[in-house]
Amino acid sequence: MRGDAATTAVRRGALVAVATLTVVLVLFPLVRLAQTVGQETGGDLTPLLSSPGLGTAVRNTLVLAAAVTLLAVPGGTALALALRRSDVPWRSFWRVAVLLPMLVPDFVLAYSWTQAYGRAGFTETLAGIGWDGLLGPVGVTVVVTVNAVPLAFLVVAVGLATRAEPDLERAARASGAHPATVLRTVTLPLLRPALAAASVLVFVLTLATFAIPVVMGTPAGFSTVTTRIYANLSLGADPFSFVEAVALALLLVLLAGLVVVPADAVLGPRLRARRVAASDTGSLDTGGPGGGRWVAATLAGYLLVTLVLPLVALVAAAVTRAVGVPPVPSNWTLDNFEAVMTGRTFEAVTRSVVLAVAAASLLTVLGGCVAVLERRRSGRWLSSLITLTLVLPGSTLAVALLISYGRWLADTLALILLAYLAKLWAFAHRPISGALDRLPPDEMYAARSSGATLLTAVRTVALRPLAPALAGAWLICFLTALHEVTMSSLLYGPGSETLAVVVLNSQELGRIGPTAALSVVLSLLLVVPGVLFWLVMRRLRVPDRPPESRPVEVLDVG
Amino acid sequence: MSADRTAGGRADLGLEARDVCVEYDGQPALRSVSLTVAPGHVLALLGPSGAGKSTLLHAVAGFLTPSSGEIRVNGHLVASGSRAEPANRRDVAVVFQNYALWPHMSALDTVAYPARRRGVGRASARAEALDILERLGIAHLAHRRPSELSGGEQQRVGLARALARHAAVYLFDEPTAHLDAHLRGVFLEELVSRQRATGAAALYATHDAEEALGLADEVALLHAGRVVQLGTPQQVYDEPVDLWAARLTGPASVVTAPEGSGRLLVRPEWACLGGGVEGTFDGRLREVWFRGPHSDYLVSSAFGTLVVREPGPPAHRPGEHVSWSLRRSWRLTDDGSDGRDRAPSLT
Repeated sequence: MRGDAATTAVRRGALVAVATLTVVLVLFPLVRLAQTVGQETGGDLTPLLSSPGLGTAVRNTLVLAAAVTLLAVPGGTALALALRRSDVPWRSFWRVAVLLPMLVPDFVLAYSWTQAYGRAGFTETLAGIGWDGLLGPVGVTVVVTVNAVPLAFLVVAVGLATRAEPDLERAARASGAHPATVLRTVTLPLLRPALAAASVLVFVLTLATFAIPVVMGTPAGFSTVTTRIYANLSLGADPFSFVEAVALALLLVLLAGLVVVPADAVLGPRLRARRVAASDTGSLDTGGPGGGRWVAATLAGYLLVTLVLPLVALVAAAVTRAVGVPPVPSNWTLDNFEAVMTGRTFEAVTRSVVLAVAAASLLTVLGGCVAVLERRRSGRWLSSLITLTLVLPGSTLAVALLISYGRWLADTLALILLAYLAKLWAFAHRPISGALDRLPPDEMYAARSSGATLLTAVRTVALRPLAPALAGAWLICFLTALHEVTMSSLLYGPGSETLAVVVLNSQELGRIGPTAALSVVLSLLLVVPGVLFWLVMRRLRVPDRPPESRPVEVLDVG
Repeated sequence: MSADRTAGGRADLGLEARDVCVEYDGQPALRSVSLTVAPGHVLALLGPSGAGKSTLLHAVAGFLTPSSGEIRVNGHLVASGSRAEPANRRDVAVVFQNYALWPHMSALDTVAYPARRRGVGRASARAEALDILERLGIAHLAHRRPSELSGGEQQRVGLARALARHAAVYLFDEPTAHLDAHLRGVFLEELVSRQRATGAAALYATHDAEEALGLADEVALLHAGRVVQLGTPQQVYDEPVDLWAARLTGPASVVTAPEGSGRLLVRPEWACLGGGVEGTFDGRLREVWFRGPHSDYLVSSAFGTLVVREPGPPAHRPGEHVSWSLRRSWRLTDDGSDGRDRAPSLT
């Protein structure tokens, strides 16, 4: 019994610590943000809001978010439906491949598009085909959409697996419905909550997107809320710009909240009331034979245009002697890499890696804490709060932390670390929480009734099956922190530039070859640990449990 | 197979499957399955999970394409070689194990769905649906969604939807598997009487021997994608082709033949305690189980161990010496063909 008393004490201590941390990282900074706007304007917001630049930025942001949602959600849905067909060749490969545009850092994606299709880019140099409108609202919309489609795909695919059991569609077929009618009368109505959730997610994340508009919009004078905050804070000394940045940061989180809070109230219960997926999820024959090959061909073309060609162009730009010369072997050189491999770059790389390792390690612990604590009623609010930080725009968070702790921590890596902890907490929490949900409660009960205390049971029984999720959470946080630019570009100072900031500054100076080289370095920095971890994860994966032992109830240990 | 079962109609109507093979990723799931169901008749597919029952139903329904073989529904060739008619154009209705009711539709709209797909207008489709619900005695559930229905009610709506299809062939995929024991009997009776009333042929997949023997005109025993035995319920129970088939269809003991060589299958009710017609043997009671209407006695003897069933409560205690005799037995010709012997254990 002593062990259980200790367990309770540990649990209570962890709850207090985690609650304090959420206040420090999220709640207090947001309150300070609102307070600052009130103080600086004396309660009179009219001069701020009537600034024409601000109005344009807000309008651009809303239109961009709406357009991307309207394009990305149908795109992701089409992908999810197409990849359910069992006759698509290499189906498991495509399922991973369509996620790749999300895994490429959005800065690299945007910059490689400009190198592929922009003026004096890859296609223009080689084939004389260039796209003048690439820099500007249309190009930004296209690339943000490419970046967002995988997310919509994931949400819809999960909805398909959990809500649209193949038998429901088979029942419609056996009732005489044509495949198109099945889609209209059964599949899409079942997907409605998933489609709504995907729309909300894409809309809110597009509100907060920064790297793509700053690379492709800013040069053409197209500003969004996030790029305007960045521009305002870069001006430094101008007090009006600072107040406007703070106000925009507040406005951004209000816009996000305006969408998310009602959506969560309506959708939350419907999405959470999931049924256990049928054992034969997914594959379903919907069309005639041969259709699968067309799906595969279309996917190959899509990925070639949106991802492969831009990345090839990026590498070509990095190894080509000068802008505008054709990227043929006689023009290849490593000069660009030599030019960027300065002491300053190495320091930035070291800083980025140290920061990412620290953030990922702390976040895995924090995410695990919340995942365990939320299983008790007293800790449930925590997980709701942490999940909401998913939609907290990075720019808002950065400005709020700067106001709250800038006095002591300005220009230090610690401030950026705080921002990463706040922003990525949910990233670490979700996979661990999901793995805990899949852990059969009986295995824990069996350990407890064999005489193990809670902590012993976790260590001996739960930790091994949780290992892939813990490693996955660490990796997601590590990779995201490594290339994060939205917050670090607002928070860095002399002596705390990360690699992503160095790349962004280089791009702003218009140094094409070096920027491309730095982008390649940044991507390699992501790919190498990514592949390594993938190999480790394959090792760690526990053999699948037989389907009947999959738990229906949520684990409630103790 | 159904030459002697002409009561329902012509042999080319109903359902006919010939040499149907199905492969999943190169693994054979059905190996050359042939069977015929005449209109108004029920054929039960009996087998353990993974034997290919659902696969055969899916092939007939058109949810998957056989790699070879032919399927005819109501005289129309619906699958031949790798050519297959899509599910919506087959004259087939399906009742699913998990009910497969659409969570976003009321019972009324669910049952009206097949009529809507035939091109009937919304109002008359609903009227027709209400008519079917009334016949099944569940008209009061018309406006409820699946989440507001109990398991038995859901499966009744599933049956109503199948009836609304007016199909020539009904496919039942373990429709009672998720129903409580006391609902099962009622539902089964309803199911079969409705299907017979339509004059349609039915294929009924189940792993429950009692269910299969009780409702079907013919039973096909399925093992690893192959039909092991096909016959009337009484044939497969009394004269199983091997020990595996014997154990699948009911409780079975095996003893060496008292006179000479060979092994005999003995069903519990085929043996009795005390003197018999053919001869009396000595034995000792190892266990006694009271089963309600009857009692089972586990008897060990020089010929092996067997279960004997007698009506009423236990009349003897374990350890007693008893005499027993056989009313009848079935000589097992082949014990271990295909390794099926190991599958189900004696109960």
